[in-house]
Amino acid sequence: MKKETWILVGAVIVLPLLVRPAIAAEIWIFAMFGLGLNLLLGYTGMLSFGQSTFFGSAAYVAGWLLKNYGINVFFALGIGVGVGALSAALVGYLCVQRSGLYFIMLTFALNQLFFFTAYQWTSVTGGEDGMPGIPRPALWGLDFSNPMLFYGFVSILFLISLWAMKRIVESPLGKILVAIRENEVRAEAVGYNVPRFKLAAFVIGGAFSGLAGVLYAMLFGIVPLEAIGFVTSGNVVFATLIGGSGSLYGPVIGSVVFIWLSESMSTVWARWPLLLGVAFVIVVLFFRGGVVEAWSRFWTWRSSRQRA
Amino acid sequence: MLYALMGLGLSLIAGILNIPNFAHGALFAVGAYFLVSVVGALGNFWLGLLLAPIGVALLGLLIEYAGIRRLYAAGHDYQLLFTFGLALILGEVIILVWGPVGISHLPPAILRGGVDLGFTFYPKYRLFVMVMAGLLVLATWLFLEKTRYGAIMRAGIENKEMVSLLGIDIHWLFTVAFAVGAGLAGIAGALTAPIRGLSPQMGVDMLGIAFVVVALGGLGNLLGAIAAGLLIGIAQAVVAGYWTEASTVVIFAVMAAVLLVRPQGLFGIR
Repeated sequence: MKKETWILVGAVIVLPLLVRPAIAAEIWIFAMFGLGLNLLLGYTGMLSFGQSTFFGSAAYVAGWLLKNYGINVFFALGIGVGVGALSAALVGYLCVQRSGLYFIMLTFALNQLFFFTAYQWTSVTGGEDGMPGIPRPALWGLDFSNPMLFYGFVSILFLISLWAMKRIVESPLGKILVAIRENEVRAEAVGYNVPRFKLAAFVIGGAFSGLAGVLYAMLFGIVPLEAIGFVTSGNVVFATLIGGSGSLYGPVIGSVVFIWLSESMSTVWARWPLLLGVAFVIVVLFFRGGVVEAWSRFWTWRSSRQRA
Repeated sequence: MLYALMGLGLSLIAGILNIPNFAHGALFAVGAYFLVSVVGALGNFWLGLLLAPIGVALLGLLIEYAGIRRLYAAGHDYQLLFTFGLALILGEVIILVWGPVGISHLPPAILRGGVDLGFTFYPKYRLFVMVMAGLLVLATWLFLEKTRYGAIMRAGIENKEMVSLLGIDIHWLFTVAFAVGAGLAGIAGALTAPIRGLSPQMGVDMLGIAFVVVALGGLGNLLGAIAAGLLIGIAQAVVAGYWTEASTVVIFAVMAAVLLVRPQGLFGIR
C-alpha cells in the first residue's frame, strides 16, 4: 500500500482517540460531502453554492423512510445516494448552461427553493424544528447505537468513497472534467459535449453529498432545517477551500480543520458563527492558498528567522 | 417594488464589480435595524428613512475599501467566501446588538390606517412604500441614464478597461457602485421594517429573492432587474392570496420555470 493510504488509515484509527467518536464521525461525513463538491469546484471549475440541496434532500427522504418504515441501512444509504443524484440532476440541468456569477446565483437560488419547501412542509420535515427520531438500525447484529461501532461504519464508507473518488478523478471522465476547467471552449472544440459532462459531475457530486446526508441524519438522529440551508452550502465550500480545492485530499484536510474548529468554537460561545465569519474573512484576505499554503509560508518564515 | 430595489442594487454590484455579493441580504437587514435605532433615538421616522440607507451606504463603502478591493483578482470562490463571511458577521452582530427575537415596528402615525380605493381597502403604509420604492427605482434609473456618473457606471458594466483608459479612476467607480448598491439594499430594508417587522433571519430570506431577480432580469441589466422584481412581487402576491404557505416557494418555482424556457433569463443577453 502507498504512503497516503497508510496515513489515511492511521488518521481514521487515531481520530476517535483525540475527539469524541460523534465528532470524528461528523468529520468523515463532512469530508464525503466535501469530496462531492470538490469534483465540481476543484476538478470541473464549477463553484456550486447549493450543495446542501442534495445533502439535505437525501437526509430528509432517507430519514423519513428510516423513521416511518424502518428500512434497512443499506437501503437507506442507497436511497440517499439516489435522491442526492436525482436532485443534483435537476439542479444541474438548470445550471450547467450558465457560468460565472450566474451559475453561483442559480445554484444558490435553487438551494433556497428546496430550503423553503422543507421549511413550509412541516407535516413531513417538521419545519424549523427539524425532523427528529431517526433511528440507526442494527446491521448484521452490530448495534450502531454504540458510537464507536457507528464511527467504524462511517469511516469504512468514507474510505470507500475516497477510493471511488480517486478512481473517478483518475478516469478519462476526470481528465475531461479537468480539461473543461482549464479551457471550456477548447474542450468543446475537441468534441466533448461540455454541458453533458458538467451534468455528470453534478450527478456524481450529488450522489456523494446524498450519502453524506443520510449518514449525518443517522449520526444525530435528526435532520435539522439547517442541513438544507445555505449556511451548510457555504460551510462545505469553506472547508474545501481551506483544505485546498482541486486536490483529492483537500476537502478531507479541510473537513478535519473545519469541523474541529467549529465544534470547539461552538462550545465556547453561542454566537460562534460570528467567529466563523471572521475566520472566513481572515482566510480570504490573508491565507488565500488554504491550510497547505499557510503551512509552507510558516516554514519559510521560520527558516528565514533562523538564518537571520 | 421592494424586490426591484434589492435586485437593482445587487445587479449594479454584480454587473460592475463582477462579484457575488452574498452580504446583500445582511445589508438589507442592517438597513431595517438602523431605521429602528434612529427612530428610537430621535423619534422621527423620516429622519430614520434618510439616515438608515446613508449608514448602510457608508458601511458598504468601508466593506469595499477595506476588503473587496483586494479580491478582484482572487476569483469568485474567495469573493463568495468573503461576502458570505460578512453576511454571517453582520447577522450575528444584529443578534448581539438588537437581540435574537423579532421586533415589530409601527409606521408613523400619519401613515397608519388604510385608504378606501373604491374597489378595495388598502393599508396606507403599503401604498406609501409602493410609491416610495417606485420613485426610488425611477430616481436610480434617471441617475444611471441621464447623469454623467450614471453614464460612467453603465460604461463600467460594458467595458472596464476602456473606462479606465479614458482616465476615470476605476477603483473609485467600484467603491461608489458598491456603496450605491448597499444603500439601495439599506433603504429597501428600512421601508420593509414597518410592514414585516424585523428579525435576524430577514436578510437571508431577502437574499435569495434578490438573486432570483438578478438571474431573471439579466446580470447588470438594470431595467431587467426592475421588471423581474415587479414580476416576482406580483406572482408572490397572487399566490399568497389563496395558498399562503407556497408564496415563497413560488418565487423560486417561477425562476426555474422561466429558466427552463429561456436559460438566459427574461432579458439576459449572455
